[in-house]
Amino acid sequence: MTILLAHAMLTSWLESIGPLHGWAIATAVVVSACCAIVGTPLVVRRMSLLGDAISHAVLPGLVVAVLLGAQPGGIGVLFGATAAAMVTVWFTRFLCRQAGLWDDASVGVSFTTLFAAGVLLVTLSGSRIDLDPGCVLYGILELVPFDTVDVYGWDIPRAFLSASIVLLLVSFGMWCTWRWQLFTAFDCDAAIAAGVPTVAVTTGLLVGVSLATVTGFVAVGAILVVAMLVVPAATAERLVHRLHHAVWLAVVIAVVGAIGGYLLAWKLGTSAAGMMAVVLGVEYVIAILVAPDDGVVARLISKLVYLWRVQCEDRLASFWRAEESGQVRHEDAFGGLVNRWLCVNGQLRKQENDLVLTPQGRLNAKVIVRSHRLWETWLGKHVDLPVDHLHPPAEWIEHHLGEQVRKRIENELGNEDVDPHGSVIPREKK
Amino acid sequence: MIYSAVAIALLPYNTLVVAAGVAAVGCAAGVIGTFGVLRKRALVGDAAAHATLVGVASALLITGHRDLAVLLVGGLLSAIFAIILLVLIRKFTRTRDDAATAIVLSVSFGLGITLISGMVSRGIPGSGGLERFLLGHTASLTAHDALLLGIVSIIGVLCIVVGLKEATMVAFDPGFAAAAGWPAATIDLVLIALIAVMVVVGLPAAGAVLVTALVVIPPAVARQWTDRLIPMLVIAGAVGLLSALAGVVLSSLAVQVPTGPVVVLVATALLILSILVAPCRGILWRTRAVSGISSVPLMETEVTAATPRVMERKL
Repeated sequence: MTILLAHAMLTSWLESIGPLHGWAIATAVVVSACCAIVGTPLVVRRMSLLGDAISHAVLPGLVVAVLLGAQPGGIGVLFGATAAAMVTVWFTRFLCRQAGLWDDASVGVSFTTLFAAGVLLVTLSGSRIDLDPGCVLYGILELVPFDTVDVYGWDIPRAFLSASIVLLLVSFGMWCTWRWQLFTAFDCDAAIAAGVPTVAVTTGLLVGVSLATVTGFVAVGAILVVAMLVVPAATAERLVHRLHHAVWLAVVIAVVGAIGGYLLAWKLGTSAAGMMAVVLGVEYVIAILVAPDDGVVARLISKLVYLWRVQCEDRLASFWRAEESGQVRHEDAFGGLVNRWLCVNGQLRKQENDLVLTPQGRLNAKVIVRSHRLWETWLGKHVDLPVDHLHPPAEWIEHHLGEQVRKRIENELGNEDVDPHGSVIPREKK
Repeated sequence: MIYSAVAIALLPYNTLVVAAGVAAVGCAAGVIGTFGVLRKRALVGDAAAHATLVGVASALLITGHRDLAVLLVGGLLSAIFAIILLVLIRKFTRTRDDAATAIVLSVSFGLGITLISGMVSRGIPGSGGLERFLLGHTASLTAHDALLLGIVSIIGVLCIVVGLKEATMVAFDPGFAAAAGWPAATIDLVLIALIAVMVVVGLPAAGAVLVTALVVIPPAVARQWTDRLIPMLVIAGAVGLLSALAGVVLSSLAVQVPTGPVVVLVATALLILSILVAPCRGILWRTRAVSGISSVPLMETEVTAATPRVMERKL
């Protein structure tokens, strides 16, 4: 029922947008979903660059498979590409272990070599293969709808069909091995100790990556597949903290990137694959700006809030100290936003032309000054600092001491109630 | 070797100058790449290389000149911008380093492709030739362009020669260099900038996608033969020179073949040969050592000392 409904909606949407663009978008969506699903564990396991290497290296596998008679975009090339991906992984490890190369350098060597071999094969085989070096780099998404196969009387693009099969395979594989993937991703050693077949899990993941890559390859080319593998996952990871949420969110982000990128490219008359990568990049930038806990905006706001609190507390304390020494602060002596905020907040009030502390404000100010002087006393007693060096650390820490810490310091100090500067430490209000 | 010498002698003047220029690029890329690889920046260079397309395309769009120097300056600016972006992402977000590299690389490449393809579809003059920067095409270089590339490369090598001591210090122990009062951060910046420059002048020879091979493979070959820096620099330079030369010659013989893949495959062939036969570290040498012909204890210590960490803890 749901499938029929979805199908009806999809069909009507495709009709409104034109069947050719519709099929291209549908292919892009399926491909990006595949890449996002396998990309998330890849990014979490710090294997993004291996994904990069595999996406370059499937080219020779694909070309050899096509030269041996497989259809580009068909199932046959999947095997060739998976084999090439395994060769890459092996070659990278060989360079690392046998040749003692640095790990990033061995990735660099292996993917450039395999990609170069692929490009050379494409160029040399000339007309015998339906790929040109340009498409290898940025795909032929616009041409996907023209290469169709007949399925029960429906003309379905070959690339869409194989991408859908790969999506099913990849999702099923991920669903079956999910707990193992999760365990291996976060603690490989513990997973080994618990008897998880980590080698099989990793190999399975890499096979999934190469399957997703080769379907993406036909649609968007070698390098932009990297964008589809890594960017949605890295974006999702900034926004949520659970791996299965990240996978779902990555799929959503990838699909938005695919549809948005295609439509933008269509309007602007440029490469759809390139634009998809750009849209994904924009999504990533938005995510690092607005991420709820460690986003740039969130951190800026919390920093500003903190600075404002420090300003207010310092002002309250200065009013309290003035009161303590019997002076009266005039309003115009301290103009500005801080005073106005404290008045609104009910910590200060106007008395004729002067500002004075309200009872509530006096209570808060006392706590600040108490923290300050307790800390100075404690430092003076336990850390051998000269008296004129006690103020700066106390000025900083007075905003951070909680009630329990103050209690402990007080207990430790015993019955000292005068700080090293000779001022009385105010008592805690019950 | 003799064949290639004969082939070079038979080439027309333009091809000769181009061959010389690109050989200088290969040599300089090998030398400067050695420092990049030692500082584990192999893939930073890759991200910068993929980003050059944006600059090359926008330089053409803004100036309207299809002069190689203008395009390469654009490429250099965008390469440096990409490196800055990479550093910012690493510093200010919790995205892992490798993912950050992959993001900068793929998104900037996508932007470059978008620009180029939009320019081509609008018929902007000269935009058709930009695709040559993807895979390298020395056959379309003029003698004038090649001279430019050669001169920039020679300046790059001279920078390294002049600052060899400083560069060595920072490459091996930046912390100590800083503690000893050297301007380590500045030297490091200069090294990164030199890598960006090499990636950009390597564009016509190897293309944006493969140019990183010019800075990674020659040092990897050199590493097989020696444990010392100066011999390593010399060998890396020679390997870069040889493979660039072979690329130019082969692609001038068969015009439709892009240069980049040829350069890379020649360099990798040299690498595999070295991994097999290099003294002390080569696989053949080690099998002999293990079978008892050479002094086993000495060999074993050398092999383990020269074998750094494996790429992934467990795969």
